[in-house]
Amino acid sequence: MPILGGVRLSVSGDALEVTGTDLDLTITVSTTVSGSGDGVVVAPGRLLTDIVRALEPGAVSLEADDEELRIASGRSHFTVRTHPSADFPRLPVPTGDSVALEAAGLTEALRQVTRAASSEESRPILTGVLMAAEDGGLRLVATDSYRLAVRDLPGVGVLGEGQKVLVPSRALNELLRLLGSADGQVSLRLGAHDATFGIGPGGPDAGITLTTRLIEGEFPNYKALIPANYPNRLIVAREALLDAVRRVKLLARDATTPVRIALRPNGIELTVITTDWGTATEDVDAKYEGAEITVAFNPNFLIEGVEAVTGDEVALDTLDALKPATLRPIDSDAYLYLLMPVRVS
Amino acid sequence: MDAFFASVEALDDPNLRGRPLIVGGTGRRGVVASCSYEARAFGVRSAMPSAVARRLCPDAVFVAGRYSRYSEVSRQMHQIFERFTPVVEGISLDEAFLDITGSIRLLGPPPAIAAAIRNTVSAEMGLSCSVGGATVKFLAKLASEAAKPPVGGRGPQTNGVLIVEPGDELRFLHPQPIDALWGVGPATARRLRQVGVATIGDLAAMDPELLESVVGRSAGAHLANLSRGVDGRSVEVQRETKSVSHEETYPTDRRDAQGLRTAILGMADSVATRLRQAHLAGRTVTLKVRFGDFSTHTRSVTSPVALDDGALIARHGAALLDSFDVGRGVRLLGVGVTNLVAAGAGPAEQLRLDLSAGEPSRAVPTGASGRGRPSEPVPTRPSVAATSARAAVDAVRERFGPAAVGPAALLERRGRRAGRRDDDRWGPSEPTPDPRPGGDRSAGGGR
Repeated sequence: MPILGGVRLSVSGDALEVTGTDLDLTITVSTTVSGSGDGVVVAPGRLLTDIVRALEPGAVSLEADDEELRIASGRSHFTVRTHPSADFPRLPVPTGDSVALEAAGLTEALRQVTRAASSEESRPILTGVLMAAEDGGLRLVATDSYRLAVRDLPGVGVLGEGQKVLVPSRALNELLRLLGSADGQVSLRLGAHDATFGIGPGGPDAGITLTTRLIEGEFPNYKALIPANYPNRLIVAREALLDAVRRVKLLARDATTPVRIALRPNGIELTVITTDWGTATEDVDAKYEGAEITVAFNPNFLIEGVEAVTGDEVALDTLDALKPATLRPIDSDAYLYLLMPVRVS
Repeated sequence: MDAFFASVEALDDPNLRGRPLIVGGTGRRGVVASCSYEARAFGVRSAMPSAVARRLCPDAVFVAGRYSRYSEVSRQMHQIFERFTPVVEGISLDEAFLDITGSIRLLGPPPAIAAAIRNTVSAEMGLSCSVGGATVKFLAKLASEAAKPPVGGRGPQTNGVLIVEPGDELRFLHPQPIDALWGVGPATARRLRQVGVATIGDLAAMDPELLESVVGRSAGAHLANLSRGVDGRSVEVQRETKSVSHEETYPTDRRDAQGLRTAILGMADSVATRLRQAHLAGRTVTLKVRFGDFSTHTRSVTSPVALDDGALIARHGAALLDSFDVGRGVRLLGVGVTNLVAAGAGPAEQLRLDLSAGEPSRAVPTGASGRGRPSEPVPTRPSVAATSARAAVDAVRERFGPAAVGPAALLERRGRRAGRRDDDRWGPSEPTPDPRPGGDRSAGGGR
C-alpha cells in the first residue's frame, strides 16, 4: 500500500498533527505551529523528512492543495506530489479511561524485558510482551524460548485484577525510543484490540501518541518454567563480568559459539573455544556457593541479561549445565532473566 | 607401495621372503588384502576370495595381517615423502600424492625427484615403491600403476618410475582400458563396453550426449574430462577424516537379534574410542547390514548433537537394527559415524524452554530415515557420571591396552576381547568362533 509510505499532516488553528502508520502501529506527534488555514495533506514521509532535514536552519513553510505540497525555506523551494488524503487509514483509537504510569519506571522495565522477546514472525505470540496484573502491580514478561525476562512494577495498577494484554515488542521498542530519558508520566488507554500510549505534558494534544494493535492469543505458561529454587548461586560484579564476556566473545566469530563459565568457589573462568580461531579465557573474581560445574551460554544472550540487571552486582543461579539459569539483582525480586544454556560436546 | 602388506610381512619375517605370500582373511569368507609378486604369478589378486586364492596357489603362506604395523610403516613413509615436498596427500596406507611443483628448483627435474623418492624408501625402509608422475592427479596415479613391477615378467620395464611428460598425456592415456579410470567400476565399464567403448581413447571420442545417456549426467561430464586428461583436483595436504566405522563379517549368517545388538555395542565402542582418540565426534550414526544374499542396506539417524560415546552410538545403532528383518540372515554388520566435528568445539546446541508443556526441554533425535527412527528417544548426551567413567576407561586402555576394560555385555568366557581394526578386517579367521554370547570360543578370546 503506497499510502502507508505517507505521513498525514493535519493543521487545525495553530496545532499540527503528524501521523504515520503501518496499520499495526500508528504514531502521532502533535506540535504548535503558526497556522494560516486548516487542512489535511498526505505526503511521502521519507522524502519529506529528507527535505526538511536538509534545509538551512530557520522557518519552513508548507502549503498544500489537492495535488501538491510546496515546501519553502529561505531560497529553497520544493514541490512534492501528495497522496489523496481520504485514502489515509484512520485507525480506531481506544476511548477507554486513561491511566498514568511513571515514565522512568516504565522505561527501565521495558528495557529489561523487550530484549527477551522474539523477532521471528513465525511465532507471533513470542514477539509480544505480556502485560499482566499481578499482586496489585503490573508485570511485564517476554520470551523467545531461549530466555525469559520478567519484571514487576509493584503498585502500578493500570490493569484490572486478572487482566492481561500482549503488546508487540516492536511497538514497545518504538515507545522506548520516543521516551528517551523522559521523566513525567505516560498515559495508557486499553481497548479490546488496541492500546495507546501517550507521552508529553499536555496529553495527546501537545505530545506523542503511539497506538498499537494487540497480539491475540495465549502467552505461554511462563511461571512453570521458572525453577523454584537453585542449589548454586554466583554473585559477581556486573561490570567486571560484562567486560570479561565482551573480551572472550571476540573469539566467538559465529553466532553458535558459546562462552563456557566454570563456576569455582573463588571465582569463575570464562572460556571461548573455537576450532578455527583459537581460544580465550578470563578469570573473574566472584563469590560462589554450590557444585563446581561448567555451564555454557550464548554470549550475546548472557550480555543482554547481565546488562538488564540493575545494581553493581548480579546473581547467577544455576541447577546444572542443561537446565535454565537465572540472572537477577541481588537486592530485589523485581527482575528475573532466565537463560537456557548451550549444550556443548 | 608395491604389494605393501605382503612386503611388510616379508620385511619383518625373513622366512617369508621369496615365497608366495597372501595377507588377508583366512576364513571361509576371507578376502585377499595383499599378496606378494610370487603369489601374483599364480593369478592371485587383491580382493579375491581367499578360498579362490588358496586353490590357485596351494603353497601360498597366509597371514592375517597387522593393521597397526602397516599404519606405523605408512607413517615412516610419509616422513620420507615430506622431505621432498610439504604438499603430501595420503589416500590410503600405501598411496600418496605429492605435489612437487615447488620442489623442482630445489631438487631437480621430476624424474630425478621420483628416482630419489624411490631410492630413499628402498634404502631406509627396505621396501619397494613405484612412482608415477604427471601434470594432473589421476594421470600420476595411472602412471604409478604402470610403473609397478610387471607380474610374471611381462610388460614394460620401468625401474619403478614412470613420468608422463607434459604434452604426452593423451598418448599415455588413450590406449588404456576404460576401467583404469577412477570412477569407472565394473558396472560402468560393462555398460560402456556394450556401446563399443573399450579404451579411454574411445571414451574421449564419444559423443558427450551418448556418454551421459550411458553413465548419467554428472558422471558423464566427469569421465569426459578425465578422458581428455583434464583433472582440476589439486593435492590436498590434509584429508580430513569424514567418517569412522567398524564392520564385521560373520562366518555364518546370523539371525540372533540380541547377539547382533551386542555386536553393535562392541563396534560402537570401538568407533567411539577411535573418535575420541582423534578428538572427533559425529552426529550421524549409520548401520550397514549385508544379508546372506549379498544385498547391502544402510540406514542412518542424525542426532542433534555430536556423539563420541559408545553406548549412545550403540543405542542408535540398535534402534536402526530394529528396522531390519534379521531373520533373513546377516552376513556383515557395520556401525559408522559421520557428520564429524571437532570434539568440544560444537556445533553447540542452544537449549530451548519448552513453552508448550511448561517444562525445560529435552532434545529428541531426528530420524534421517523414517524407518530408522528410534522407537524411544535416545539421550543426546551421556550423564556426567558416564562421561567420567568413559574418561577413566580411556585412561585405563591407554595404559593397559584396549582389552583391559570395556562394556560388560561384551565379556566372554575367557575375558574381554577388544574390538580392534585388525580383527576380522578381511573376514573372520579360522577356526570359526561361535558368535553366540557365551558360546565356546576355541580361539580369539582373551587377547
